[in-house]
Amino acid sequence: MDPVLDIRGLRKTFTLHAAGNRKVEALRGVSLRVAAGEHVALAGPSGAGKSSVLKCVYRTYLPSAGAIHLRRAGGTSVDLARLPDHEIAGLRHTEIAYVSQFLRAEPRRTALTVVARAGMRGGMAADLAAQAAAEALGRLRLDRSLWDTHPILLSGGEQQRVNLAAATIAPARLLLLDEPVAALDAANRRAVLDLVTSLPTRGAAVLSVFHDPDILHRVATRVILLHAGQITADGAPADLLATADLR
Amino acid sequence: MSWALRVAGLGVIYGGGCDRCPERTGPAAGAADPGLDAVDASGPGASRVVCDRCGSVVAAWDVSFEVAPGESLGVIGESGSGKSTVLRTIAGDLTPWAGAAWLAALDGGATDLFTLDRAARRRLRAGDLGMVYQDPAEGLDLEISAGGNVIEPLTAAGWRHFVRMRSRAAELLGRTEVPVDRMDDLVHTFSGGMRQRVQIAKALATSPGVVLLDEPTSGLDASVAAGVLDLIRELSEELGLATVVVSHDFQVMHMLARRVLVMHHGRVVEEGLTDQLLEDPQHPYSQRLVAAAR
Repeated sequence: MDPVLDIRGLRKTFTLHAAGNRKVEALRGVSLRVAAGEHVALAGPSGAGKSSVLKCVYRTYLPSAGAIHLRRAGGTSVDLARLPDHEIAGLRHTEIAYVSQFLRAEPRRTALTVVARAGMRGGMAADLAAQAAAEALGRLRLDRSLWDTHPILLSGGEQQRVNLAAATIAPARLLLLDEPVAALDAANRRAVLDLVTSLPTRGAAVLSVFHDPDILHRVATRVILLHAGQITADGAPADLLATADLR
Repeated sequence: MSWALRVAGLGVIYGGGCDRCPERTGPAAGAADPGLDAVDASGPGASRVVCDRCGSVVAAWDVSFEVAPGESLGVIGESGSGKSTVLRTIAGDLTPWAGAAWLAALDGGATDLFTLDRAARRRLRAGDLGMVYQDPAEGLDLEISAGGNVIEPLTAAGWRHFVRMRSRAAELLGRTEVPVDRMDDLVHTFSGGMRQRVQIAKALATSPGVVLLDEPTSGLDASVAAGVLDLIRELSEELGLATVVVSHDFQVMHMLARRVLVMHHGRVVEEGLTDQLLEDPQHPYSQRLVAAAR
């Protein structure tokens, strides 16, 4: 089966002009594929380039070289490394979603509206989206009394769950998750991980970064190890995590 | 991309200009390494907008962009970078030296705005193009009522039925969260935040497809500014407006703009998605600007 995401020879070099044009190589030729129904987790020590891969795919970073092919809903393929900005903007929220621990929910709309609107952007009818939004917030254990609150008044962990509900209500074809449980307590973490585990069965392709090896075990169908911007191993979580030192 | 507003090769020169102006000014002029030029526009770098041959000021040069319906484009740069000049030239307040601009809503995009006479430009402002200024005193008559200000472009657009105009004004003021019971109060009795809301209501009066915003929140307290930014974002989404917002403030870009142009010494030095510009700026000047904002 054709992968949803097909990254070939991805390089990312930062040029720091204020530091005498010093070059920092974050990614040095990364190639990987993620199919629909697959959850590929990137692992490796801090600074290995895990988040840089996600940010290049989402185009928060401009890739320096290589190709990032996304197979779109209609079956056509686009190279995210070269697509014009306005086309990338159009793909965001509809075909590619990105959830990190740092994303802030939009102000002035209630939590329920934020999630329902995400559903409508994903093609749901208004009434269906409202119903699905309520279910999503319930599943993520957001207290019902907070549904009509503006997310800006919520705690970091509550906002994060609103973001996750919005990103997964009508899951994009490709979900990029960067430490989405970092700010959560144990009970909420379990609720989020249940949700994350269900995503591949709903047909999404997931590319993630989680630091906790136990979580990798639980959610990933495949793990890719990165070291200094290059892939050093690629395999089933059980095979890889037994031998690899992830710290 | 299908555009609501398209600008090509816009240049604005004060003081006659000469054929060498473009090459004698701008970020790269006279600098061995463009990376070394000053972020502080009051420093030696400021002279780069002045042509050393004829003494003219090149406020903007070779500025081109497109904005799609429903899209928001930001223009960021320091004071003197030319960003407001670009906006005011499109709005018809300043005369361009070079370039062309088209509105999709005007003759299906076939007519260059810069070829229109003054009267036609004024009609455009009471039609397809709205503008919000940093200083409410520029966009509003502070000595007439809020309602009167919003009605003004309607009159210019040929509305004649007073009750209908008044109800349209009330609707817009309600939409921009100005208490409708203050509709008949003179605008000079309003707070800064409320004046900006009246300006937004006025800019939207004739349902333009394109709205230009010049530092719309720079004169406001942070909490008031946040409310106005929210309002602008909500209205743009709801009405499917194409907006161009000029600001020196990354917070404003983050809130309002999906894509951003960076201007320096009258030139566009970089353009990108807003998050990309903030996290991975490419041009030396953009890198300094982002670092200074942190």
